[in-house]
Amino acid sequence: MSTLLRTPASVVWLVLVGATAVSWTLGTDNGLGPDTQRLAGIAILAIAFVKVRFIGLYFMELRDAPSVLRGFFELYCAAVGTLVLALFLFAH
Amino acid sequence: MTTLVETESLSTPKRVPGEPGAWIFILGDMCVFAVFFSVYLVQRAHDPELFARSQEQLNRNLGALNTIFLLMSSLLVVLAVRAVRQDAHRHLAPYLFVGAIVCGVCFVVVKAFEYHEKIAAGITPETNSFFMYYFVLTGVHLFHLVFGMGVLSVLWRLAKHENPSGLHLAFIEGGACFWHMVDLLWIVLFPLLFLVR
Amino acid sequence: MARRIEMDTALMKAALWTGVALVAAMIVSQGILMHFIGPPSPNLTAQELAQKFIARKGEIRVGCLVMCMFWCFWATWSMAITIFIRKMEKGYPILTYCSIALNGGGYVFFILIPMTWAVIAYRPETLDPAIMQIMNDWVWFDYLFTWPPFAAWMAIIGLAILKDHNLPTLYPRWVAYLNFWCAILIFPAGLIVFFKTGPFAYDGVGAFWIPFFIFFGWMVTMTVTTFQAIARRRLTLEAELDAAIEAEPSPSAL
Repeated sequence: MSTLLRTPASVVWLVLVGATAVSWTLGTDNGLGPDTQRLAGIAILAIAFVKVRFIGLYFMELRDAPSVLRGFFELYCAAVGTLVLALFLFAH
Repeated sequence: MTTLVETESLSTPKRVPGEPGAWIFILGDMCVFAVFFSVYLVQRAHDPELFARSQEQLNRNLGALNTIFLLMSSLLVVLAVRAVRQDAHRHLAPYLFVGAIVCGVCFVVVKAFEYHEKIAAGITPETNSFFMYYFVLTGVHLFHLVFGMGVLSVLWRLAKHENPSGLHLAFIEGGACFWHMVDLLWIVLFPLLFLVR
Repeated sequence: MARRIEMDTALMKAALWTGVALVAAMIVSQGILMHFIGPPSPNLTAQELAQKFIARKGEIRVGCLVMCMFWCFWATWSMAITIFIRKMEKGYPILTYCSIALNGGGYVFFILIPMTWAVIAYRPETLDPAIMQIMNDWVWFDYLFTWPPFAAWMAIIGLAILKDHNLPTLYPRWVAYLNFWCAILIFPAGLIVFFKTGPFAYDGVGAFWIPFFIFFGWMVTMTVTTFQAIARRRLTLEAELDAAIEAEPSPSAL
């Protein structure tokens, strides 16, 4: 069993759990004013897309995938992450 | 054709995880959800006050708990796929897949409780725009999750084979990637709906 | 001594073409004649809705006659694919029988749609608008809310393709995954029961337009790939026939 766990993906998992805890703390801290909340929102969304990228590269094993496939996934993370952040900040 | 013993070489040859066809499905679905995320944020911009107020009524703890359940299930799936590839550990794979399914069941139970909590408080998809998106987006995600649990049960069956064929392995990898997609989508949905305002 | 392969390619292709005719007829009758591609909003009052039927009653009557005729082709089109499901599965034909059952019901849902519109347009001036509203809602629910048997069949097609034991396989494997994806994508059509406005009402982007384009796009894709499957299968059958003829002992001299 320990041989199975000895892989980068396990470390990535710990990072993902930690990042979830950070996001949750940032997201539930209610004493924040509106500006700080926006900053917290930016941080939370950015963390989310970093997590998405980790899942793709390490869990879905796209790290070793042909460039086209990995490239599309990386593009997705960058484009959708940017779009989501932009809409969160500037849409009206 | 297939070496079932995994070798951790420094230069791993590039290969498509699963089958190419599965990626049409996975990437396509990710794009559809990207549209959902965008539509939600545009609608939110029309009435940020309403969305922020309504969001306060969501149970963030349950949402975070569900995130942990999905992350655990994804880890179990990663380990299960590794196990299938190694002769010495293949017998562990079915248990690992079952573990992932159990995590999925936990997610469903928590989600059911969450929905029940809302409906008991008089909140339905028709209450307001925010809650429409909340119920629909989490509902569509839930549908994917249940479908994913069906896929995991197929993987569980395939993992019991003594000598899985190349095609079996490809399908197991593809199915695993679909499950990771379900996890990945929640990783965005949870902060989007529950946390950011 | 001429022997023929056991597949009648002409009839198989004709069955596929009926599906194309179904889609074309839909565009002409539901779209051009009846102006129902884009459902009327569920939020219209009964009076406003009644006006729509009264204003276009002639076009609706003709359109419905046409649609009723062409939409029974769902049965023939789906059976062309079901024949290949039979060829892809081994042993007891469970997937095939499920397909026949699902599609035998499917065309009924299809032709109830123009039939109901025709009934509404039969006496639109004297029919109570409240009743017309219920019947119109019913039609759109028949159109969209009945997505499950079709999604189930898409999943069965996908399953059959993945389990195909033929060499070469009748369909490329990506078609299986496309079917699974389409099955999931038409799910939002089920959300119409909760909303009268917005993207998931029965005139909305999420519940009507996306499933609409996915479904008919899927029909086109399945038609094209099944034509290819017929060609592929024909080559295999001809090769088998040639091999069988070669292997026959030569007629003994008299």
